[in-house]
Amino acid sequence: MSTDSARVMTGKRLVPVYLGYAVALLVFFSPIVFMVWSAFRDSIDISSSPFNLGSGLSLDNFEKVFSEFNFLRYTINSLLIAGASTLIGLVIGAPAAYVVVRRKWRSLAFFMLVARMAPGIMFLLPIFVLSVSLGAPSNTALNYALLILAHVIVTLPLCVWLLVPYFEAVPESIEESAMVDGANVLRRFRQIALPLVAPGLAVSVILSFIFSWNYFLFALALANSDTIPLPAIAFSFIGEGQSDYGGLMAASTLISLPALILAVAAQKWLVRGLTGGAVK
Amino acid sequence: MSTDVKNRLTPAKVPPPVRSSAMPFVSRGVWPLALPAIVISLVLVALPIIWTFILAGSSSRPNGGFIGLANFEKLFSDALFWDSLRITMFFFVVCLIVETILGLGLGYLLSLDVPGRKIFQAAMLVPAIVASVAVGLLWLLIFDPSLGIANALLGTIGIDPVVWLGDPKIAPWAIVIVDIWQWTPFMALIIGAGIRSLPAEPFEAAAIDGATGWRKAIFVGLPLLAPVLTVAMLLRTVDLIRFFDTVYVMTQGGPVNSTNTLNVYGYRAAFIDQDPGYAATLQITLFAIVIIVAALFTAARRRFTIEY
Repeated sequence: MSTDSARVMTGKRLVPVYLGYAVALLVFFSPIVFMVWSAFRDSIDISSSPFNLGSGLSLDNFEKVFSEFNFLRYTINSLLIAGASTLIGLVIGAPAAYVVVRRKWRSLAFFMLVARMAPGIMFLLPIFVLSVSLGAPSNTALNYALLILAHVIVTLPLCVWLLVPYFEAVPESIEESAMVDGANVLRRFRQIALPLVAPGLAVSVILSFIFSWNYFLFALALANSDTIPLPAIAFSFIGEGQSDYGGLMAASTLISLPALILAVAAQKWLVRGLTGGAVK
Repeated sequence: MSTDVKNRLTPAKVPPPVRSSAMPFVSRGVWPLALPAIVISLVLVALPIIWTFILAGSSSRPNGGFIGLANFEKLFSDALFWDSLRITMFFFVVCLIVETILGLGLGYLLSLDVPGRKIFQAAMLVPAIVASVAVGLLWLLIFDPSLGIANALLGTIGIDPVVWLGDPKIAPWAIVIVDIWQWTPFMALIIGAGIRSLPAEPFEAAAIDGATGWRKAIFVGLPLLAPVLTVAMLLRTVDLIRFFDTVYVMTQGGPVNSTNTLNVYGYRAAFIDQDPGYAATLQITLFAIVIIVAALFTAARRRFTIEY
């Protein structure tokens, strides 16, 4: 606490900083507060007096989206698709990132960059054609499998790119001494390199999960009414339920829940992941 | 199992046979670990991209067969394509400039060591990681002509209500506002981390030479920050040229195609106009533009930024 004290600002110099904080919070954070607040308000209250702080709060909107629409199912779908695609992205991506570093295999890294830069619809078109010819729209298990695989296109390049700098920091000498002890490639990777990049794995899991959870384009075209995840179903409410802002904001709050929780609980990892690559 | 024990009991055994190549020790034999990733990326990335090219050369009518570059000819004479290109570039230029300038200010704020910084940073993280669908729904409510906050705010300064998303002249600016709101904090996080990692010496030297706050920031800080700043701009560039999410949620490209970005046009061609061949052509064109702009940007970045 005291070691940093030379850089920590104090006294009157804090006033302009906190003024800046206030403006930034008003501009960039108050809409989020407004969204969560509206989720607990009656739709009629929202339309008659948008700013009335005294209006009553209730869980009605949440009850409604769970009872009238099958939101529990959509939430589970989201968890399943984001969770499975994150796991696959990590299990496949971590060894790949290791190989990129150890073999200085730039072309593989470049290929992952292509996947990151290509517009999603480029992948969606062929997958959609394939999905129809396989009969996936009417086959729930197949539909889940295709959605998870499609989301791996989001998670795999992300995991590889996030993990490369972490593997670069693992000294070759540690592995060399393990090799002298007779450890094979798989053991070297699993027992030496992988534990040393644990922070990178945490960053990858968190960011992959968020990105996969947020991604709605693939599900929009591929999912059926049983497999559709939260963001895609919320999109389909636009238009029909436009006047029911309470319900829409309850849905939005549910979709935002992982982001809101992680912003508080995993701030350090999120900042590392989002700024990783740009700042060393 | 037993070899494990044996290896542990007999350390310093003979290292693996030396091959004539100059490849370092630790690099040998690791490549099979990348095999799953190679297979998956061939199936999920390379194959769809090749398939997209085949689609672009095929007729969308049943039994239409191979039609060569006909779809690209159609593209060049399609007014809607040129419109969507112009709209995409409009979003790209306006959003990138504003997000960079505001991001510098907010990034500076995030770089300062003051009590409560972590809480502030958590709040600024949220717009960058909240799902675009939620962002779109939220701003639909904010821009609602009769009950939205946007018009209420205008009302307090005596301006008549605006039909934000229904007027082709205003809708693109409404989308710009949403994108700036959503992505300025992301830019600021990168810039803030960049500022915190700057070396102190150049600033001290400039102070000795008599430079004051602003001069130090512009003539010392900005050039030192350029490598980080340009990466943040490059990330935004790639996303802005592929701009899709919030536009599709809020306007689906309307009204009167005024927010119809290339990516939205591509999606509509595929899933609303049911013309996969033309949609593939649009996507290939979009991909080419992303690569060209990113390459130009990277080349400019190499030319103009200093490493320290």
